[in-house]
Amino acid sequence: MVQSKKKIYSAIAILIVTAIIATLAGMNFHAKRDFKEDIVAGKGVTSTFQLSQYNPNLAGTVGDVTVYVLKGEKEGGSMLVLGGTHPNEPAGHMAAILLEENAKVDAGTIYVITNANNSGFTHNDALEGVPQYIHFTTSSGDTRTFSYGSRATNPIDQWPDPDIYTHSSGQTLSGSETRNLNRCYPGIADGTISERVTYAITTMIQTLDIDMEIDLHESSPEYAVNNATVAHERAMSIASEGVLNLQLDGIQMSLEPSPANLHGLSHRELGDFTDTYALLMETGNPSQGRLRGRTNENLVLTGEDPCYAVAYKLGLLYVDYSAGDLPIQLRVGRHLMGITEYINAFNDNSDKKISVSGIPTYDQMVSSNVGDWLL
Amino acid sequence: MTPYFITFLVMIGIFMVGCFAAKLPVGVAMMLAALGGALEAGCGTDTLRFMVEGEFGYVDTIMTIACAMIFMKVIEDSGALDALSSLIIEKFHRFPAVLLILIMLIIMFPGMITGSSTAAVLSAGSIMTPVLTLMGLDAVTAGSIIAMGALLGMIAPPVNTAALIICAGIDVPYVGFEGPMALLTFPLAILFVLMLGYKQARHLDYEKLKPALVQQDAIRKQYGFRIYLPLLLLLALMIFFKVFKVTTDIGMPLMFLISALSGMFTGKKINILEAVPAAIRTAAPVMGILMGVGMFIEVMTVTGVRGLVVISCLRLPHALWLLAAAISIPLFGAVSSYGACSVLGVPFAMIFASILGGDTVVVLAAISLIASLGDMMPPTALAGLFAAQVTGVKQYTLILKRCIIPMAILLAYACFILSNSKMVAGLF
Repeated sequence: MVQSKKKIYSAIAILIVTAIIATLAGMNFHAKRDFKEDIVAGKGVTSTFQLSQYNPNLAGTVGDVTVYVLKGEKEGGSMLVLGGTHPNEPAGHMAAILLEENAKVDAGTIYVITNANNSGFTHNDALEGVPQYIHFTTSSGDTRTFSYGSRATNPIDQWPDPDIYTHSSGQTLSGSETRNLNRCYPGIADGTISERVTYAITTMIQTLDIDMEIDLHESSPEYAVNNATVAHERAMSIASEGVLNLQLDGIQMSLEPSPANLHGLSHRELGDFTDTYALLMETGNPSQGRLRGRTNENLVLTGEDPCYAVAYKLGLLYVDYSAGDLPIQLRVGRHLMGITEYINAFNDNSDKKISVSGIPTYDQMVSSNVGDWLL
Repeated sequence: MTPYFITFLVMIGIFMVGCFAAKLPVGVAMMLAALGGALEAGCGTDTLRFMVEGEFGYVDTIMTIACAMIFMKVIEDSGALDALSSLIIEKFHRFPAVLLILIMLIIMFPGMITGSSTAAVLSAGSIMTPVLTLMGLDAVTAGSIIAMGALLGMIAPPVNTAALIICAGIDVPYVGFEGPMALLTFPLAILFVLMLGYKQARHLDYEKLKPALVQQDAIRKQYGFRIYLPLLLLLALMIFFKVFKVTTDIGMPLMFLISALSGMFTGKKINILEAVPAAIRTAAPVMGILMGVGMFIEVMTVTGVRGLVVISCLRLPHALWLLAAAISIPLFGAVSSYGACSVLGVPFAMIFASILGGDTVVVLAAISLIASLGDMMPPTALAGLFAAQVTGVKQYTLILKRCIIPMAILLAYACFILSNSKMVAGLF
């Protein structure tokens, strides 16, 4: 009897402790899911619209993100910049934000999506132990907070994963890739939330006849495609000229052809299914690599990591890690400079022109902080 | 990296004390080790988030295990297991070697289509246990065959979750794996089942066995074909959703539950209010281990211990990388074989495929086979643990001991394929 009572009491105690832990953790995850990023429309933004305009099936969902339009007074070419395809690659996200907050277009139109996979920003990958938020101090002393998310769509929005993900091309991939936005192009109008988003982006490019598209990414320093631009075969001449100019600017950048047999990626499918020149840029980010040491906001912002320092000495990295860091201002600066040079190359190769000012240069970025360029 | 090493020592120390001195359940010891590591590393209030977030790393697997155990309990209580074993023995008793190979393939099948050794042990493994017992195999041998079959099943085509995890890590499509994975697994499966079981099974005498099958035969006669319906339904659902992919996959947990529900009406009467809690009680320790593993890996990652482990392996001279992979990947599997694929499998795949110029597909398939051994590494040893559970072996270490030679052969074979990946790729 006493034994049985003891069991009941201990069971009740465990249940109470579990309920307290679940409540506290649940509040934390709920706050992350509902967090609204501090994104300000820049002075150069002439209008905005919701992505659901190009796929009504997105309306009212987490994937219905804002598209920032920077339209010049003169007619010209058009370009789409995608940030936040992978929300654990913050340089792509921040570069897109800095672009829309700072750029002023004189001729042509630039469309910016800062949170391409908005669902991915609402959670973090289990087992990865990453920070939930990153913070920047602006020149006026304010702190602006941004979400550090997951590579993939939140399982709350898309679950369960199949064992094997079969892309619409018939190619098979790991089941978890079904929630990877950059494996879901060209998308399906009424498919999963990831496929609906990519379908909307594809349709937007087709409908608006957007001339060039740049998808901003980061990659693990040990990953072979690093400090690189991946280009669809139709975009090769623009990409080659841009890469050459970046190298003349002192920025190491390699050029990779989009693999014809790797489907679902933006540079492959947007190039095949639309008339746009599809490009994708990668820069090295230690906070997403598998060799990394202590994982926290400092690692995301500075890229300082003792494990990567060892890996660099062992010759295992595809980025220059001789300084022992890869700060976010450098990574964002690479993306912004890339955008500038690919616009220049586009202008050299097209009758239509895009004229833009106000994009921070690489040198300006590395000698300042990301926060200095935030409104 | 000294702070990472201190955290590593704290985590291992707490785990050892909890597990071996305080005799706590493995899952609880892992949770305490994770908690200690996070606090020592100064994670502060984020510790709670990391612990809960880590748990969710294996939520899909936990659901599969819980539902599989309910299914198993239902088909056991309904009499379907007894009936099936009696039927198989009656039909195949003349050819014990063929019967053993057939049983091995049946054990592997759920692993082949789910990529999980646990699913293989808990479904086909437990269905085949009475058959193996009737063939004259002792419980440890039967458990060893089931455990090795489950390991090979999770690597055999078409679904190899371990390879899929590595594919996702290095951006390789899951294409062209069938041939190498078949070459890696089926020869070993035939070898192992005969090596482990033939000596005991070759003297199978059906006439002597008949009196022991009276009860089973009676169930077959009483319920007829319908007693097998839950098993056939599960098989049909697996083939429908996973092989032919007719529509969106409903997932293994729901398949197990639907099949279990059908079992309520096909055989002996079942008290669901007793069967379900009993099934969950059986699965609770393993589900606890998986939750503990999730917390442990998440804290390892956030504190830098994961990076320390990976870099320590990669620091070895190039000539020792094969040895490092062969030792570190199975050892890390003591925490989790899937975790080993993600943490160590990906960097080693990059090394063998990119730096050493191997064939990517064969390299990934071979590394996944090495990683499968993680499911036999204590203290988690999911395949061994469940195999012991379904065969009624009290100490799962007995099964691990019996499997040492097959595991060594498996490791040597995988290493040979890994170091000769280009040559092997030429076969396909």
